[in-house]
Amino acid sequence: MRSTRFCVLGLMVVFLFGLVAVAEGPVTITFWHAMSSRHQPNLQKLVDDFMAEYPNVTVELSYQGGYGDLQQKINAAVVAGNPPTIAQVYENWVTPIVDILYPVGLHMTEEEKGDIIDGLVRSNTYNGVLTTVPFNKSIMVLYYRKDLVPIPPTDWQEYLDMSKELTVDSDGDGTIDQFGTGFRPAANPELFLNFLEETGGSILSEDWSKVTINNSKGLQAMEYAASLAPYSLITSEYMSNAFQANQVCMFIDTSAGYYYNNQAAEAAGCEMGVARVPMGPVNQKSMIQGTNLAVFDKNQTQAQKDAGVLLARFLLRAENTVYWAEKGGYQPVTKSAYESEEWENWVATHEYQQAMSAQMLDGFSQILHPNYGDMRYVIATAFEEVMLAEATPLEGLASAALEIEDLLE
Amino acid sequence: MNSGYLTKESLLRQHTYRLILYLLLFAGCAIMLLPFFWMVMTSLKEESEVLRMPPQWIPKNWQWRNYLRAWNVAPFGRYFFNSFVIAITTTIGEVATCILAAYAFAKMRFFGKNVIFAILLGTLMIPGEMLLIPNYVTITRLGWYNRYEALIIPWLASVFGIFLLRQFFRSIPDELQDAARIDGCSRIRFLWQIVAPLSKPAIMTVALLKFLGSWNAFLWVLIMTSSESMRTVPVGLSLFSSEVGTAYEQLMAASVLAIIPVLILFLFTQKQFIEGVARTGIK
Repeated sequence: MRSTRFCVLGLMVVFLFGLVAVAEGPVTITFWHAMSSRHQPNLQKLVDDFMAEYPNVTVELSYQGGYGDLQQKINAAVVAGNPPTIAQVYENWVTPIVDILYPVGLHMTEEEKGDIIDGLVRSNTYNGVLTTVPFNKSIMVLYYRKDLVPIPPTDWQEYLDMSKELTVDSDGDGTIDQFGTGFRPAANPELFLNFLEETGGSILSEDWSKVTINNSKGLQAMEYAASLAPYSLITSEYMSNAFQANQVCMFIDTSAGYYYNNQAAEAAGCEMGVARVPMGPVNQKSMIQGTNLAVFDKNQTQAQKDAGVLLARFLLRAENTVYWAEKGGYQPVTKSAYESEEWENWVATHEYQQAMSAQMLDGFSQILHPNYGDMRYVIATAFEEVMLAEATPLEGLASAALEIEDLLE
Repeated sequence: MNSGYLTKESLLRQHTYRLILYLLLFAGCAIMLLPFFWMVMTSLKEESEVLRMPPQWIPKNWQWRNYLRAWNVAPFGRYFFNSFVIAITTTIGEVATCILAAYAFAKMRFFGKNVIFAILLGTLMIPGEMLLIPNYVTITRLGWYNRYEALIIPWLASVFGIFLLRQFFRSIPDELQDAARIDGCSRIRFLWQIVAPLSKPAIMTVALLKFLGSWNAFLWVLIMTSSESMRTVPVGLSLFSSEVGTAYEQLMAASVLAIIPVLILFLFTQKQFIEGVARTGIK
């Protein structure tokens, strides 16, 4: 009990010293991000607000290309020993470099930590410590054409039945002109992972010692995906393209794509609806996507690290995560944000957000295994082969399991 | 019938042949130009028209403001300046070093020449991606990170350029060199006054390929720089795309602006470029 008190006291001292250090002199921090032109003004506004509140801190925003480019750059910078102060990171990027990060959670109040929505606390916790904090988070939801789908499907069976019903060869030339649904298996294997979660399945066992993707739950998920294949447009392009071309009636996609999907629906002259993903055999969970924020310990002064933590905490504030969500199509990441009047008003006036918000609170994140990126690629390949009928669900999962097994070593 | 005159039939045949030839050329030209036409037209469309099916070739309302919006997304003025500085300096530098090295490999005798050349060619087989992290570490330790040195100095030599010019220089008869040496011409003078002018098409090919490569370079610039003041046009173009969608009309507007300098360069050098490609057998 006494040692705990000392620990808490020690942490508070470090925390206060950090704040004092930040408050003392000017400090410049770099923030590496992968936000495209549509999000940059919003991010800049938030950073400007932060700098107005902490005038001694200068934040240099640095765009680092897409997520793949950003990951390469972080890896290179870690090896070279000159990482930025703060950067956007995916969960699995963090696992191999967790030792050179400055755990944000150790410098947050209990209230702040408890405010982060539960599904996101788990995915930002490494070795029992909240190391990173959620930032630009989106959730998989069902988009549908209101004229063709008056009531969206609520469970797997309805989704399958409606997909079948809506798939038509209108000119009778033997080629399907309108698909009930659509998939981008190679680009978006998260759709399979969604199904997998809804069966209660997983890629790996809890302790990462065994591959479980090919067990009965995995097979159930893949068989369900395969049953949708005849009524699905399988493409590698953005689904919004097919939506605009009236080729698909409904599809599951990230909430971050709302802007583009809605534009596509408007261009096609129809109204778009958003619903939760159809309920699976076990639950109605959906995959949370997007990155978190990591503060680097390496090559940073104490003042820089403290400023990085301050920025991360600033971005978690209800008003800021709500602003980020409203402007960018992402979802708030804290409970207080969902309960805020601002967000409630926003949801009340933006019908599509109701499903997104509800889904977000029932979301799951990717696993933290350092080889998740490679596993994702393996799953994407198997998922695509099954959806293109090049492999049976059993074959697809068996080959994926073998390759994932190698990635565990 | 006088063989010096063409009959009506043969004239007609000749005209028909020409007509077919021109039609084929026109069709080929149209196919080649179609992506450019699509790019320009898309740059002037409204967002909702971009992916419309069936495709809408000509915009309803020409959106010239797409260019302004695209230009304002990032400091493109600075990006263009950087692209020019880097493309021009690396092109001049690479051509100079490649000429010297290619001459040595083609016309000089020295110990281990073929082995060194084979090692150089071997480096072409190492994927660039594999070297990215080691190169980043090297650049950082040299203190060149986020500086022009990182974007220029590593690109002042090229094995491909050396190989290309060496092949060309080897086709120049050794007798020319012997005659020049007998007349008291130094190697360097022979290189600049005889070999280089004779190899103009090949040198122009190396220069143009280098300029294009530098102008389009994306990953190296992105990795080796962090501030906007050091970035180039291709990095600016990537801003219009994200994981979930692309602002095509703005991307196309910025792309139109980005290809103008390359287009102008090609218009002025196309004769040498095509000649160089034809004579060196590069495909």
